[in-house]
Amino acid sequence: MAKESKENSRRQFIKSGAVAIFGLAALGGGVSYLRSVNGPDDTRTPYFLRPPGAIAESDFIYGCIKCGLCVQICPIDAIKLAGIDSGLSYGTPYIDVRTQPCDFSCDSLQCVETCPTAVLDFKPYEIAGGNAIAAYQKEHDVAEVGFNPFPIQIKAMKEEVRMGRAHVNKNTCLAHQGKGFKGVSRGLDFEGVYRSPDSKFKKATPLRDIEFDRETCNLCVTECPIGETAIIFSPRRRDGKMRPKVLDACTGCGVCVMVCPTEEPSIIVDPDLTHLSSGRGRHV
Amino acid sequence: MFKDIKKMPPLTPKAIADMPHTKLGIDYNVWCKTETGNHKWRNIRWVTLILVNLLFFASFFLDLSLLEGSLSGSRAMGFYLIDVYNALQVILISIPGGYFASLTMNFWIGFFTILILSTLGGRTYCSWICPYHLLAEGAEKLHNYFVKKKMVKEHSFNIYLRFVFWVGFLLLALFTKNIVFENLNPIGILSRAITYGPGLILLWVLALLIFEIVYSKRFWCRYVCPVGATWAITGIVAPLTVKFEFDKCGYCRDCQDVCLVPHELWFVQRGKATQEVHFTGSDCTRCGLCIDTCGGKALSFTIKGVDKLL
Repeated sequence: MAKESKENSRRQFIKSGAVAIFGLAALGGGVSYLRSVNGPDDTRTPYFLRPPGAIAESDFIYGCIKCGLCVQICPIDAIKLAGIDSGLSYGTPYIDVRTQPCDFSCDSLQCVETCPTAVLDFKPYEIAGGNAIAAYQKEHDVAEVGFNPFPIQIKAMKEEVRMGRAHVNKNTCLAHQGKGFKGVSRGLDFEGVYRSPDSKFKKATPLRDIEFDRETCNLCVTECPIGETAIIFSPRRRDGKMRPKVLDACTGCGVCVMVCPTEEPSIIVDPDLTHLSSGRGRHV
Repeated sequence: MFKDIKKMPPLTPKAIADMPHTKLGIDYNVWCKTETGNHKWRNIRWVTLILVNLLFFASFFLDLSLLEGSLSGSRAMGFYLIDVYNALQVILISIPGGYFASLTMNFWIGFFTILILSTLGGRTYCSWICPYHLLAEGAEKLHNYFVKKKMVKEHSFNIYLRFVFWVGFLLLALFTKNIVFENLNPIGILSRAITYGPGLILLWVLALLIFEIVYSKRFWCRYVCPVGATWAITGIVAPLTVKFEFDKCGYCRDCQDVCLVPHELWFVQRGKATQEVHFTGSDCTRCGLCIDTCGGKALSFTIKGVDKLL
């Protein structure tokens, strides 16, 4: 009797085990199929960027444990976790720059530093910041009044970020049409915040609190947290009309996308896809 | 070691004169029901479970910075904690991916902290912290009710099926280079939903619960969950466990009825116990339901090794 039940339970174990293995194999096949159809990158779109420091997308998905610590630490709630509609990318962090971009107002890239699996890789920023401090120390003495290398370090770190690169849509851009802009950029209901470069505040403030008045619209240029190395207002060669021009130092932070007053943003960030092929490494 | 104890010659079953109720001079049925309505440990456990999960929510919502992240990876007052099974998958993928060296010190701190903690308490995590456990406990009650009413039939499987999934999901991670399990893991899903807001993925958790109610009791926890299986492995050496004292037992088996993993209480049946003192094995979730219900107080929480010193 006992022997028979043992034999029975063994048979049942093998049977259910086989079902389990089959199920897992089917799951694996499904995942592989989805990846081959969608590619490793089924999340990055012009409005859907990875946080700063994200490594190659194919590696990102397999290193991210979806803990959400980067979401927690962001002081302006720029980072969100993807829903199941993102498929395999469910639970991974992203930034929707039209709603709330990263404006670097945390001054430390803490989302990158907090990531335990280093899919947001802090190394390059650590190095860039360290180099900046070293350079500063060569020129300045510790005993000097006002010795403070930290702003330099922070600047070097944020300039190292490459989430993507902005590009202007000439068809809708107000400046390209020679138009100005007056008023609140995204309406009084808009909840996005950022730290305006010419504001005296240390923290980010709501965009709706600021009233602009520009003869020719140049919000994307003046509000850029990186400044004139990333985007400038320059005359067009053809007719001398002023229009925004994105330069190589653009970090893809997306503040310009948020502040753009046109219905559909006339400046969007192309996600940095130059590093899509597998293999870890910096993407510049 | 565990198997050996089970195979040893059993102690002689107690005669009526030696039964605890005779010693107290009360009727057996009355004795059995002495502790009915006692839910001390269950209440403590539920409060703990809800508080921990609420703390995740409050840390994010009120910016408290006490317990940030979710149950797949978190930071308790600046100290990292990483779910071991999740971490194992990351490590496993990272080696062929050339990513191993990039894993941060915080990752290793979190991984080893949880690993060491789990060797102390085994599956304590399951019943004291896991949010899915609470829902599944409710589902189990419903299931039992439906079975009693003969509306559904109970289907049980081999509990070692968990280890097939444990290995399977690790291999799946390795081959697909994707932590597939985390997309299905109801613990992570619920934890993220509690902290960062609900999403459509909760339908998956609902489906699991419905399956557990209408088909197989505790299906996920018992036969699938590799997170719990990890704790069952590390729990083999766990000193925190439930102690059973043979001389106080009255063979009523109420404890086995309420137990979430009844096979761990094999020694409470008449003629099964081989020792004067038994400890529950690594599958025990230390939920304390058996302790609450025992009329003779034959079961108690203990820390092996330390209890002798006290």
